[in-house]
Amino acid sequence: MTEQDILDLFTRILRDLLGDDSIVLTMDTRRDDVDNWDSFTYVNFIAVAEMELDVKFSVTDVESFENVGAIVRKAQALLA
Amino acid sequence: MLFNSYEFIFAFWPAALAVFFVVGAISRSWALGWIIVASLCFYAYWRPFNVLIIVPALLINFSVAKSLQKLAPLKKRNWSRAVLITGIAFNVGFLGYFKYANFAATVAHDLFGRQLVLTEIILPLGISFITFQMIAFLIDVHGGRIESFSLRDFILFALFFPQLIAGPIVHYREMMPQFHRADCRFDTENVSVGLTLFAFGLFKKVVLADGIAPLISPIYQQAAHGSPVSLVTAWMAAVGFTMQIYFDFSGYTDMALGIARCFGIRLPQNFYSPLRASNIIDFWLRWHITLTRFLTAYIYNPLALWLTRRRLAQRKPIYGGRKSTLGAYLELLAFPTVFTMFLSGLWHGAGYTFLVWGLLHGVYLTINHGWRQIGPRLWPDKESYARFMRPAGLALTFVCVAVSMIIFRATTMGSAINLIGGMAGFNGVALPTTIVDHLGPLSGWLRGVGVAGGLEPGVDANKLALWIPGLTIIALTFPNTLQVLARYEPALGIKAPADESRIGARAIAWSATPAWAIILSVIAAVGVFHLGGESEFLYWQF
Repeated sequence: MTEQDILDLFTRILRDLLGDDSIVLTMDTRRDDVDNWDSFTYVNFIAVAEMELDVKFSVTDVESFENVGAIVRKAQALLA
Repeated sequence: MLFNSYEFIFAFWPAALAVFFVVGAISRSWALGWIIVASLCFYAYWRPFNVLIIVPALLINFSVAKSLQKLAPLKKRNWSRAVLITGIAFNVGFLGYFKYANFAATVAHDLFGRQLVLTEIILPLGISFITFQMIAFLIDVHGGRIESFSLRDFILFALFFPQLIAGPIVHYREMMPQFHRADCRFDTENVSVGLTLFAFGLFKKVVLADGIAPLISPIYQQAAHGSPVSLVTAWMAAVGFTMQIYFDFSGYTDMALGIARCFGIRLPQNFYSPLRASNIIDFWLRWHITLTRFLTAYIYNPLALWLTRRRLAQRKPIYGGRKSTLGAYLELLAFPTVFTMFLSGLWHGAGYTFLVWGLLHGVYLTINHGWRQIGPRLWPDKESYARFMRPAGLALTFVCVAVSMIIFRATTMGSAINLIGGMAGFNGVALPTTIVDHLGPLSGWLRGVGVAGGLEPGVDANKLALWIPGLTIIALTFPNTLQVLARYEPALGIKAPADESRIGARAIAWSATPAWAIILSVIAAVGVFHLGGESEFLYWQF
C-alpha cells in the first residue's frame, strides 16, 4: 500500500469514529490538530487500523507516535 | 527539606549550584556526580534512614533494567517479558508495603472484622513518584526506547533532587539527553529564567496557598467533628480548597522547574491553567500533566487497546461514531477509564476518600466521553454548540472539580458527605451577619424563610470573601507562569511562540528588563518574608 492509500484509510477510519466528514489527515497531522481526537478515540483508531491493515502495533509504539506520519510509516514497515 | 524553607533557599540550593558551576568548569562528569551527592543529601535531610531504603531499591531496578537490556538482542520475548513483570511486581510490592500495608489492614478490619497488627511503617518521601518513574524506565528499556545507560546516569535520573519528592514525573529519555548536553557552567539565561520560575512558584505556594489554608481548615475540622456545614460555608470549603491545592501544587512545580533550570535542565510541564478547562477531559490534560501522561501510557492505553482488539476480533461493534452501542460504551470506555482513575486515586493516598475521589473522576471522564458523542447532535451546528458549551462547560467542570476536592481534602467519607450535602443545601442556609444585618427589610424575609444570620464559629467570612474571589480571578484570568516565560521555553512541551505580534502576548512576556526586575524582586521578597509561617505539605502521602 502506498503512503497515500494508508492516509486515505486512516482518514476514513477517523471520520467514522468521530462522525466528522470534514477531517482530512496528512502526514504532519497531530492529535491536537483534530477536535476531540482524545486518548479514547486514539486507542479505537489504532485498533481499527490494525484490523483493516491486518497488522499489530506494539504498545510502546502506540504511546510514542508523534503524528499521523509516524503511524503510516510504522504500518508500511509492518506490511513490508 | 522543602523548597519553601530558609535552609533550602539560603543554604542548600546556593551551595549545590555554586559547587556545580565550580566543578563543572573542571569536569562535566564530576559536576553530574555532584548532583547525585547533593540529591542524596537533600533526601537524607528529612530522614537519613530513607536513603538506605531507596538506594537498594534503585540498585535492584538497575539490575532488572540491565537484564532486560541483555535479553533484547537475543529476541527472547517471553524471558524479557517475565523479567519486566518481575521488575514491575517488585516496584508495586515496594510501594504497596510502604504506602498501603496499613490501609490494607484497615480494609481487612472493616470487611472481615479482623484486626491485623502491623508495626508503624513510615512512608519514604516521594516514594510514589520514584516508583512510577522506575516502572516507566523498565517498560522503556523493555520496549527498546532506552538502549544504553550507565549506573551514574540511572541514579542521576532517579534522584535529581528538583523533581525527587513531588514530581513532575519524568522519563529517562527526556532527561538524560539534557544531562549529556549540559555544559554545567553558569549561564545567565538559565539562572535568570530559573530564579523567575522559582520566585513565581514560591509566591504561589507561601503567599497564596498558605494564605488561604488556615481559613479553610476550620471548616474541614468542623465537618470531621460531625457538625453540619451550611450552604455558603460548604461552597467556600470546596472552592477555597480547590484554590489552595492548585496554587500549592502548581507553585511547588514552578519551583521545581526553576531549580532544575538553574542547572540547565528543563522539566516537563505539569500544570497549565487547569481551572480554565471547559471539560473534565481537558482538565486532566492541564492538571498534573505528567501523571496523566503516565497513567494514559502505561495503564489506560494497554488496557483499552487489549479490550478493543478483543472486541473487534469477536466482530462486535466498538464505541465511536454513528454505530456506538451501550455495551461497547461500558466495556471499552467506562471500564478502562474508571479503573485507571481508581488507580490514580489509590496512588494519591492510601484511604477511602482517595479511592472515591479517583472513582468519581473516572465517572466524570466517562460521562464527558459519552457526551462528546451525543451532545453535538443536539445543536443545529458546531458553532452554536461551541458557543453554549464554552461557558457552560467551564462552570460545570469547575463545580465538578470543586466537589471532588472536598472528598480529596476531607479526612473521612462521613465529613465529605456532610460538606457535599451542605453544598446541596441539606444542612440549611446561613449568611454572614454582616450581610444579613444590612439588607433592611429583606433580612426579615430571609430569616422568615429559614436563612440564619451568622456562619459557623471559626469561619472568617470577611477574609474568605476577599481570598476566594481574588484567587479565583487569578486562576481563571491571569496568564500562567509558563505563558509569561514562554519565550524562554521554561518547560518541556512549551515552545517559544512563533508570533508575539499580539499585544497581549507581548505585554505579559517576561524579559530581562528593569521593570520585570522590580516586579520579581517584590514577588520574591514577599515570598521570602512569608517563609517560616504555617505551611501544609500536601504531598507527603503521594
